[in-house]
Amino acid sequence: MAGLGRGSRLPLGTAAPRSPPARGMAAAAHEDGGARMWKTLTFVVAVPGVAVCMLNCYLKAQHGEHKRPEFVPYTHLRIRTKRFPWGDGNKTLFHNPHVNPLPTGFED
Amino acid sequence: MAHQAHSYHMVDPSPWPILGAAAALLTTSGLVMWFHYNNPYLLIIGLLSTSLVMFQWWRDIVRESTFQGHHTPTVQKGLRYGMVLFITSEAFFFLGFFWAFFHSSLAPTPELGGQWPPVGIQPLNPMDVPLLNTAILLASGVTVTWAHHSIMEANRKQGIQALALTVLLGCYFTALQAMEYYEAPFSIADSVYGSTFFVATGFHGLHVIIGTTFLLVCLLRLIKYHFTPTHHFGFEAAAWYWHFVDVVWLFLYITIYWWGS
Repeated sequence: MAGLGRGSRLPLGTAAPRSPPARGMAAAAHEDGGARMWKTLTFVVAVPGVAVCMLNCYLKAQHGEHKRPEFVPYTHLRIRTKRFPWGDGNKTLFHNPHVNPLPTGFED
Repeated sequence: MAHQAHSYHMVDPSPWPILGAAAALLTTSGLVMWFHYNNPYLLIIGLLSTSLVMFQWWRDIVRESTFQGHHTPTVQKGLRYGMVLFITSEAFFFLGFFWAFFHSSLAPTPELGGQWPPVGIQPLNPMDVPLLNTAILLASGVTVTWAHHSIMEANRKQGIQALALTVLLGCYFTALQAMEYYEAPFSIADSVYGSTFFVATGFHGLHVIIGTTFLLVCLLRLIKYHFTPTHHFGFEAAAWYWHFVDVVWLFLYITIYWWGS
């Protein structure tokens, strides 16, 4: 075990080279490479993946707001069997007057 | 001085179970008062007492384990079974909402225009914010695993960094979903589409908030040296719960957001 001593004896947080991950994570006292692999995956795959998706959303938003469709008083939509227990009882919890029409039509 | 001849934890008498039951009763009757009699006060008392019981009960568990050493491997095994069973029950909970979604969407009725999404519904573009949300939760699964390995390798700084990043990703998801809810052109009252969409994603969102809170508590405990490289079950339970939340989102994304659009 002396030859493998480098791994767990280093002070916390030191960025010294560790044993190659090919050794696997099975060795009981030496989980070298486990955290390093996941840290690498975090900064090389996970975070860039999120960044690319953020960019995609930003570009789609730039592309142009889409036109609000014509209001049609369909009976299967804007159901009001019972008043909502807040406000005037006619608006849903996340009501947005620009995109959510009331049963009688858009407010604005 | 008495010693036990077994490895189980005989818990000291505690007021939290019965107070928790009372809090649940206040909350449920509070809901009735609010919905049917327009009075929110009982509900507020119910929610407040529920939160107080949760805080104090879990604080007692941390005291019994970290500070008093009652969590032997046998006790930990029982807690593992408990968490697995609880998550399984949650999986069945969501299964019900997925069933409801498929019931309505596989055979759309004439009232909906015989199509899914129903006539008049503009579904959200799955390649927009929902895709970003998918990336965020998948990324948080990677960061929580990084945190776990860091804890096992006694790397305090990285463990804190990774777990903090996980919590931030969780908050980012919640913020984006709240924005999506506000910007959606359809509401919960828009036919069974709205009902299935908001109930399924809404309960999921609630579980994200619960999971983020659980991870935040673990982060605070990690900072206060509660965990050891070989004994950190609270963290593992939080990580399991978080992976479960991620998996439920993947199902929601594929079925409701993508197939259903």
